Amino acid sequence: MLVFSLIGVALLIGLARLLGFARRGGLVDAGLAERLAVDALPGFRPCDVAVSRDGAGALVAGRDGRVALVRPLGDRFVVRPLAHPLVARAGAVLRVRPDEMMFPETALDLGEGAASLWAARL
Amino acid sequence: MIDQLVTIDPVAIAIPAFVALIIIELLAVRLGWHGDYDWRDTGTSLVMGLGSTIAGAVVGGAVAGIAIFVWQHRLFDVPLTWWSLALCFVLDDLGYYVFHRSAHRVRWFWASHVIHHSSQHYNLSTALRQTWTGAFSLGFIFRLPLLLIGFPPALVIFCGGVNLIYQFWIHTELVGRMPRWFEAVMNTPSHHRAHHGINPRYLDRNFAGVFIIWDRMFGTFEAERADDPPRYGIIRNLATFNPLWVAVHEWLGIARDLAGARSLKAAWAAIAAPPGTLSGETADMLRASWQADAGVAAPARNQAGAAVPAE
Repeated sequence: MLVFSLIGVALLIGLARLLGFARRGGLVDAGLAERLAVDALPGFRPCDVAVSRDGAGALVAGRDGRVALVRPLGDRFVVRPLAHPLVARAGAVLRVRPDEMMFPETALDLGEGAASLWAARL
Repeated sequence: MIDQLVTIDPVAIAIPAFVALIIIELLAVRLGWHGDYDWRDTGTSLVMGLGSTIAGAVVGGAVAGIAIFVWQHRLFDVPLTWWSLALCFVLDDLGYYVFHRSAHRVRWFWASHVIHHSSQHYNLSTALRQTWTGAFSLGFIFRLPLLLIGFPPALVIFCGGVNLIYQFWIHTELVGRMPRWFEAVMNTPSHHRAHHGINPRYLDRNFAGVFIIWDRMFGTFEAERADDPPRYGIIRNLATFNPLWVAVHEWLGIARDLAGARSLKAAWAAIAAPPGTLSGETADMLRASWQADAGVAAPARNQAGAAVPAE
């Protein structure tokens, strides 16, 4: 019975993929990043945003000093306010990981100047 | 005849229909009907569903033992008849409402129920995204009163199975609104989409299983609005599709908050307060914040709990 269930699950997943439900959410639009942060964080009013050039994510700063990380997950996105994140900069790339189990590191290609600026901000 | 009927496992019979309907929905969405899928999200939902079945089988004996023990101490002998079937079904649905409301308002129960809400998609596969820790969370206690009253265990299990089957089809965006009379009495895709919404308007609303009348009676009903389409998921959407993390993340959150608790009050809040209490993000807080931000007045509610339009 378990084997049949496993086969059934695998077939449905395969069918979903075969039918093209395999989009990846790229984040290249600053407006979208702001809207996602506003939707996810009550009272959040964005005042600045930096989007990774490869669509890997974005940082959105709020007027209240909070900074939110927005990153794709499948064809959707996840948002986290960054409190005590792990931050590392290597040239134009800023690596950010919220202080949260199972939240993957996000490598943001922001350009040298912006990466430096946002690293200081975090 | 009723004796034979209640020995049937309706969920086992319905599983092929579940699979067929998911395939139909996949094809319909592909052809342009309203809805969406992501194979990774669907994979997580189906693995959670399979794991839930396995977990249920593992602990089913113990739960059945408790159920029989309670029934042996029943207050009445409820016969197995058509009227008791109907009464049991309605009362079981009321019990489901109480369970479901508790599952959103008490973090201990939420730690198990959050799994069902952890998808950012809303489709038939989401219906199968079920907990692995239902027995551990003691969610079954909400069905014990029926056994204590005296409804036979087989009847209670049968009604629970039918209730579960009903709730499958409402997890879809393919269906807009049902006829008005149906929307008034029954839980529908529209009502349940609102329940899965994380828009502040929809948080902790529409706890119904089969009959939406409970929400209308107890003041927790919120109609889905075209100008505020539900955004699905949880307040802090998970950043992974890993089923194991989906299954245990809130339990680990409780453990972390318990470990950091400096008082009995804080420990109690970590376990039993509404989800989000420690982070200042309960449903009530988020709704109040949204209402203040948007200048939305809290809707007045009549004695039946239904929202009353402003003059």
